[in-house]
Amino acid sequence: MTAAGLEDLPRRRLGRQTAQTVLAVAAILVVSFGIEWLLGRYGERIATQMCVNIAAVVAIGLFVGNSGIVSFGHAAFMGIGAYLSGILTMPAMMQRTALPQLPDFLAGHELALPVALVIVLVVGLGFALATGIPITRLTGASATIATLGLLIIVHSVMIGAREITRGSQTFFGVPRVTTFEVAIAAAVAFVILARLFRESRWGLMLRATRDNESAAVALGINPRTVRLISWVLSGGLAAIAGALYGHMLGAFSPNTFYLTLTFTLVAMLIVGGMATVSGAVCGVMVVTLLQDTVRQAEGGFTIGTFEVPAVFGLTTVALSLAILIVIWLRPDGIFGRREAMIPGLTAIFTRLIAIAPTAPAPAAKPQNAAPLAVDGLTKSFQGLKAVDGAGFTVPQGTVTGMIGPNGAGKSTVVNLLTCQFPADAGTMRFGDVELRGRAPHTIAPLGLGRTFQNLRLFENLTVYENVLVAGLAAGCSVKESKARAIRELSLLDLEEEAELLAGSLPYGARKRLEIARCLAQEPSLILLDEPAAGMNPEETSDLAARLVRLTEERHIAILLIDHDLEFVNRLSASIVVMNRGRVIANGTPAEIRDNPDVIEAYIGRGRSAAQTTPTTQGAIA
Amino acid sequence: MTHRLKGGTALALVAAVGLAASPALAEEYFIGVMSAQSGYLAPYDQPAYAGFKFCIEEKNANGGLNGEIPVRIEVRDTRSDMAETVKVTQELVDEGAKFIVSSADADPTIASGQITQPAGIPTMTFAGTAPVLTQVGEFVFGSYPADNQQGTVLADFATEQGFERVYILKSPDSAYTLGGPEYFAEVFEKNGGTVVGESLYSLNQPDFSAIVTKIKNTEPAPDIIVTWAWEPDFPAFIKALRGAGLDTQVMGGDVLDTPTIRGLGDVVDGTYHTSGGFPEEGSAYADFVKRFEEATGSPPDNNYYVNGCDIANMIEQAVAAAGTTDPGAVAEALANIEDGKGIMSNFTFKGTDRMPLRPVVIAKIHGDGTKEFIKRGMADPEKLPAP
Repeated sequence: MTAAGLEDLPRRRLGRQTAQTVLAVAAILVVSFGIEWLLGRYGERIATQMCVNIAAVVAIGLFVGNSGIVSFGHAAFMGIGAYLSGILTMPAMMQRTALPQLPDFLAGHELALPVALVIVLVVGLGFALATGIPITRLTGASATIATLGLLIIVHSVMIGAREITRGSQTFFGVPRVTTFEVAIAAAVAFVILARLFRESRWGLMLRATRDNESAAVALGINPRTVRLISWVLSGGLAAIAGALYGHMLGAFSPNTFYLTLTFTLVAMLIVGGMATVSGAVCGVMVVTLLQDTVRQAEGGFTIGTFEVPAVFGLTTVALSLAILIVIWLRPDGIFGRREAMIPGLTAIFTRLIAIAPTAPAPAAKPQNAAPLAVDGLTKSFQGLKAVDGAGFTVPQGTVTGMIGPNGAGKSTVVNLLTCQFPADAGTMRFGDVELRGRAPHTIAPLGLGRTFQNLRLFENLTVYENVLVAGLAAGCSVKESKARAIRELSLLDLEEEAELLAGSLPYGARKRLEIARCLAQEPSLILLDEPAAGMNPEETSDLAARLVRLTEERHIAILLIDHDLEFVNRLSASIVVMNRGRVIANGTPAEIRDNPDVIEAYIGRGRSAAQTTPTTQGAIA
Repeated sequence: MTHRLKGGTALALVAAVGLAASPALAEEYFIGVMSAQSGYLAPYDQPAYAGFKFCIEEKNANGGLNGEIPVRIEVRDTRSDMAETVKVTQELVDEGAKFIVSSADADPTIASGQITQPAGIPTMTFAGTAPVLTQVGEFVFGSYPADNQQGTVLADFATEQGFERVYILKSPDSAYTLGGPEYFAEVFEKNGGTVVGESLYSLNQPDFSAIVTKIKNTEPAPDIIVTWAWEPDFPAFIKALRGAGLDTQVMGGDVLDTPTIRGLGDVVDGTYHTSGGFPEEGSAYADFVKRFEEATGSPPDNNYYVNGCDIANMIEQAVAAAGTTDPGAVAEALANIEDGKGIMSNFTFKGTDRMPLRPVVIAKIHGDGTKEFIKRGMADPEKLPAP
């Protein structure tokens, strides 16, 4: 891709995103109206049920897909929505018979569906906020278990609140107003909302967090905040989907919104693919069409004179088989990790979108970094002193190297500086700011960026999005973030790869991408943790040249940690040498080369006397 | 909107056909069966449907209902799922069903009733016993003795036996497990008894030792424990209770009328439970058991089979009384049946809110796996608790 091609990338990306949304919406319309046209009223009902399920699954997917945390709790929001909307819209006459003990503030409203849905949304959002604050602090399996706990609690409360819900008895008299048109409108609206969220600033930051939480935190993203935002939105939408589900049924009980519904919806999401909106839509469609087709055969039929007896349970068998086959052949669901797309559609929509190419951001202003001063830094892991009273400084606009044998504590120093671990003692002053004790996601905004020893990219985002999200995380506008992304991608020669998923890049390009991502935040100090590890000599010297240019052009200070001594010597104005957690030497490369302690640390006692041999000189130099 | 027009035409046609139909024409009578052939309700719906189908086929072999109206049954599976229930009912109504037989639980029956009530199609539950289910409207019917009738008969029996202090064990997880014991308690207190304690359990609760300890420490000690618990909760409870050395009399609902409960041995010896009927020697029920076993090769080992058959009888008698298969007329005739002839027992809809008054049997389980007929009684309408 040429530089001009790169500048046109935001337009193409918007074109593709629009095409993806249009495709999902078109699929809903075509399938729904298709079934209705084919089967008449019978088809209309299948389509209505399908569209309500799409709304529910898309609402769940908004959290599950973007955060990577499976939720079993969304049926709780659906139940709340269904009961609330049922009470608000129920005819007053019916309410007096069905719910004689209803509290006054809930009684006799007889609202129209749209008004009731607004109230349901507000209550859903509020309840999601209250439950999300604890739940979104958790990750992985523990978060999933917490959502299951939420479902169980809400279920018990629904059974217990007999005055409002009739307890475990059937709640009936709910107007059956979820028509074919209402269901389709809801499904389309939900898909558009979910797509907008997915591609928004918050959606992108959440997907970055899903792919790699430590890297996201290092960019200044607060994982809890982004998770909470999506949980709240997702909960609000699920409450509306539940209300529509309730208005489709007309009668339900707390058991309607319990494990069976939860597993049905989650199974649909798994079949289609959790990570995308098209996966959610497709999953519901495949399951609905499969079950309703198989259902036709269940009741028994006649072929010629041969009578096939009724065999019930085939639909469940078919669904189970479908899930097994999908998990076996496509563990990420039918559509995998990228939104479904038809080749050529992007081009059409890109042509329709009239936004100017995005110019690369102007060269970053020279940074006047505050110096970093570390003193007495100490960290123990269960008695092992990984860092023991380390002290050094990284002056403005220079490269400071840090070397030391394996286990010397170098990476621990980086993790202490970025507050990934709390330090036991010591100070780490970045200009006037004390870093010790800060939350990890508050480090990047100070102008302190980092890369990781073991690459940490957002594997399921494109190369471009990896850099874009860094700009967004730094608080830039979308426009500015795009411009910065284009600048850094061309600086690190990643134009050709810009639209590939980061996970598919070769090793060298991944290293460069991590640096590009870091640079997009315009930090004044970068902690580079073994950037040259695993690279061949050519790649290493290419990287060295780029880093030299950076320090010259942008005056970025670098703390460079590496094993490759030649690489470190070539770049660094000064070098800090660590061994067994302590700083054993500190000075210019020439001073370090002659320091007997350093030689001893690297080569061992006894051999240091023979340091004049050219081989050892070379090894250290 | 084409589909509206198409639908409208179809409805008009159905209505026209319905009005034109008369027994003389030997028109097929279309009964839609909305039932759970899979899922958690299948253990009740499958036998009920088997019994219903068996008796409809018997009638068809003799010319149909009252010997002149052949019946067509269309059965659809709801998979015990509410959304599927609604869809299936709508389909059957669309296809012109003149009578709907619905799943054996209040939830799906009420959901169906909300569709069939405005459409004016009589709907009867296979074995839903929560009396609340007929509140949907005048087209919705029960078939089995309701929970409040069973509770009343059992409470009167307990009082007769001289019991005075009851301990209630109930679960809020279902209308059945909650309602039955509460109806019992209400009548038992009216009879002068007292409720000395109560505990709540969850469906599928594995351990009842805490509840048993609480019962053991209750002062004054109960002389009877009443629960509507089913499997696997009832076996877990009764084993814990007897294991703790308590030999208090236990009484339960009609769910205890199963071979697996009777197979529990000594721990259930002496337990009383309600039941919809009892196949005494020489009764119509015993004859049904024989015919069914001869025809299908398997014995109808619970009351749902025979109750399914009685639904066919109820429909037949309603159609006879109405003199037409028009759904509105059939519903009205059904609601006015007084002492209709049934196989499990006779039934009276007149004067009820469409939950039939039927005799309730009290049976006693013996340790050797048999059950003994104790008595048959009707609930006193004066005492019958409100749903």
